[in-house]
Amino acid sequence: MNKSSVPIRILIVDDHPVVQAGLTSMLNTHDGIEVVGSASGGREALKLLEQNEADILLLDLRMPGMSGIEILQAMKTMKSNVRAIVLTSFETDENIYRAVQAGAHGFLLKDTSQQQMLEAIISVHAGKRFIPRDIAARLADRMLRSNLTARELEILTMLAKGLTNKQIGCALTISENTVRNHLKCVMSKLEVSDRTEAVAVAIQQGIIQITP
Amino acid sequence: MTMRFPNLLRSRGFLVIAATAFCAILISGFLWLAYLHNPRHGLPYADSFTRSAADEWRAFGGTWGTIDGSMRNDSDERGAKLITGSPYWTDYVLDADVKLLGQDGDAGVVIRSSDEELGVDSYSGYYAGLRTRDNRLILGRAEHGWSEVRNTPLLGKVEAFRWYHLRVLAFGCEIVAAVTFPPESGLERTVAVRDRDCFRSGRIGLRSYSAGGAWKNVRVRIASGADEQAIRADLRIEDIGDKQTHASLTPLFGSGSLPSPVEQRVPAIAQVQLINNLRAVSGSTPTKATIRGVVSLTSPDVYVQDSTGGVAVRSSWRPPLKAGDEVQVTGIVQPGPYSSSLTNATIQLLWTRTPLQPLAVTASQAATGSFAATLVEVEGYLRSKDRGPANDIFLNLESGPQSFQAIIQESRGGSVFRRLKPNSLLRLRGVCVVDPQYTHNLLPFVLLLQSIDDIETVSGPPWWNTRNIVAAAFAALLLLLVAVFVFGRIEKWRLRAVLEERELLAHEMHDTLAQSFAGLGFQLQAIRNRLPKDMSILSGELDLACDLVRHSHQEARRNIALLRSDSIAQLGLPAALESCAQGMLQSGNIEFRISVRGDPRALPLRISGTLFRIGQEALANSVRHASPSRIMISIVYEETVVQMFVEDDGIGFEVIDDQKSFGLRGMRRRAAGISAEIEIYSSLDTGTRVIVTAPLPARLTVSSLPGLVWKKRISGLQSHEQI
Repeated sequence: MNKSSVPIRILIVDDHPVVQAGLTSMLNTHDGIEVVGSASGGREALKLLEQNEADILLLDLRMPGMSGIEILQAMKTMKSNVRAIVLTSFETDENIYRAVQAGAHGFLLKDTSQQQMLEAIISVHAGKRFIPRDIAARLADRMLRSNLTARELEILTMLAKGLTNKQIGCALTISENTVRNHLKCVMSKLEVSDRTEAVAVAIQQGIIQITP
Repeated sequence: MTMRFPNLLRSRGFLVIAATAFCAILISGFLWLAYLHNPRHGLPYADSFTRSAADEWRAFGGTWGTIDGSMRNDSDERGAKLITGSPYWTDYVLDADVKLLGQDGDAGVVIRSSDEELGVDSYSGYYAGLRTRDNRLILGRAEHGWSEVRNTPLLGKVEAFRWYHLRVLAFGCEIVAAVTFPPESGLERTVAVRDRDCFRSGRIGLRSYSAGGAWKNVRVRIASGADEQAIRADLRIEDIGDKQTHASLTPLFGSGSLPSPVEQRVPAIAQVQLINNLRAVSGSTPTKATIRGVVSLTSPDVYVQDSTGGVAVRSSWRPPLKAGDEVQVTGIVQPGPYSSSLTNATIQLLWTRTPLQPLAVTASQAATGSFAATLVEVEGYLRSKDRGPANDIFLNLESGPQSFQAIIQESRGGSVFRRLKPNSLLRLRGVCVVDPQYTHNLLPFVLLLQSIDDIETVSGPPWWNTRNIVAAAFAALLLLLVAVFVFGRIEKWRLRAVLEERELLAHEMHDTLAQSFAGLGFQLQAIRNRLPKDMSILSGELDLACDLVRHSHQEARRNIALLRSDSIAQLGLPAALESCAQGMLQSGNIEFRISVRGDPRALPLRISGTLFRIGQEALANSVRHASPSRIMISIVYEETVVQMFVEDDGIGFEVIDDQKSFGLRGMRRRAAGISAEIEIYSSLDTGTRVIVTAPLPARLTVSSLPGLVWKKRISGLQSHEQI
């Protein structure tokens, strides 16, 4: 850590107070780092971003209200030059992929070592990207798979809820055959052989989420 | 809420469809009822009896058949009826030509009839007829009893074998009957009554009493007021309730009264023989004989019977005969082995009697020939039925070891014929014939039936015929399929509910447990960072604490992943382990292999879940500590146990200090939870091998199914609670 330089200003966005507090305490023990604020939700985070001159945003993905991905997208439209590192405790291929697509510069798990976290903060601050090797491998794997279209995602979500082709067709006001064709595309994209497997793989990879 | 929406949609759609279908059925039912109850339904009606079928007519007594475009009742039965039409017909005009077949009795038509039963006056309605005794047109009301209301003498005599035109009108509570003789002569006699408490609607019918009858050109049309005006223009309608009118009625005859002796000249013949004695006549020389008896059958041959037996009569000419007529026959005797016949016979009608009562015999008794040419009643099972070229009906029957045939000459009753079901038990009344002309020496005897009404169905065919059994089997199969489908659906719903619950749990764990671990970890790290450099013991302890928290966090994360992805339930144990291993080994160059042996099958969720956790832990340990070049997992399914081997060729460890390792302790604890045995072998040079042996519940067989299903439900519920 370069003591002579200006400390790296960090904004923490996490809905969980224990994480906020712990993370703030830990990062503040380092001289080159200064935690300038913490937010527990999306709107609060965006407000802070406008007020504070932060360098790095440590961002949780799963939050009530606005999700981390949505914050990243909002930052993109705001043309904010704050660099974001996603710090999450739960990772799926799809989460990683979507976070990186939305403009995250780093991706860390909450159980990473302090050393790695510092490394990430410094390298992202220096203008690089930081994604640990195992996560990078999964990202690459996900990148190779072709994207599902919005319609295909919609159909997949309905399929996961147990709707039949007919019911999906009714709900989307398209014919049953069209639904079948979409599903064929989905199955070939996910490299699966049947509907159940498609749903299983989609849930496993986080392409869709079943909300209770 | 989002999950309920499609269910709601589905159930609402279903409800709408069900309600619509129900309404449609209800409405069509109402329409159908209204159609049937419509007093105009089936009107105008006409039957000229050109077809022999006459299916819509229903007989109550008598021997009814269509002959030469007329419906004929050859029996002298008192009050034989043939009914048709709709019970909802109200105001109508019935036209029919009527002929009497006997000298003493009456014949006519019934209107507004209901509650018909077998018996003399067993119906509710009005009867208008012609009576020979006093040459009158009669009109009266029957309500399971007869009350004659009006009668009027005809211009000529009422004679047998003459056609009279009868017209009966029912309009409101006014009943009018008119007879025209000769037909189209315009000479008409009319009677009319007004019945205060009248029958409002009913069927039509043909009826004869004591004399047989023939009817033709039966027509019914809806009546209007004009009809009524026309038919009774010069007639005073009298009220039925008027006592005075009752008193002024002429003495009652006919319907309800006893038959009177017939004033017939009986030729005195000395040489009348008993029928049984004809068999003693030698066949070598033609012998003439005279017998007296009652006609038991008129078609195809005439059979006459007295108290000693029966005889077939063949003659070139015969008077119009009815069953029940007393006749005197003179002819040449042709003796047969069981019964004789008279050829070139002359038949003289003596008087009419009520028809003979048949003798109830078994088929075996009939087969002996003792009852040849006599009227018998036999029961038998119908084996097949057939229609001859001349509309004859052939029934092949069986009773015990005997098979026999019943023959009915050209006749009405197509619907009765169609309703006869093979293998049903029938009771038949007919003349037992052993003549080879009918039996062709193939059958012991043949029954000749006067009409289709001589067949009575005692009991229908048994239900266990091939068709029904096949249908029942199909139904059972269908039911089974439906049951399986429903069971599958319920299981699916249950599974989905479990998955949703687990997803919820995963969210909860993520939001509380995992986050707390993460925060605690950061906080400990902060303390560790602030610790002065010289407090090495304390820093060591804090490092350990950090590690413990991180380990717990990782475990929580894995649990969440497991709960959420539900990979085991969806993919099965081997595939779940494989994908888990691939996730862990992605960055390294460790060779991984998984193999399955035995008979792979779906494990209870609890067992597969536990095995997966143990396998995951073993894999994680291996990757983290052993730096192996190869990891192998094998899963062996056996009859009563499932075994999982996790082997690596890494550096291993001393098994003694496994008390210190949280991972190993967790594995043992988990294995104990499903009563599985876990063995861990490790040495520094051969690597590590973890073997888990978990007992399986008994396999599903047909005999153990009910008990197992119950157990499975309980264990399934438990497993969901524990995972």
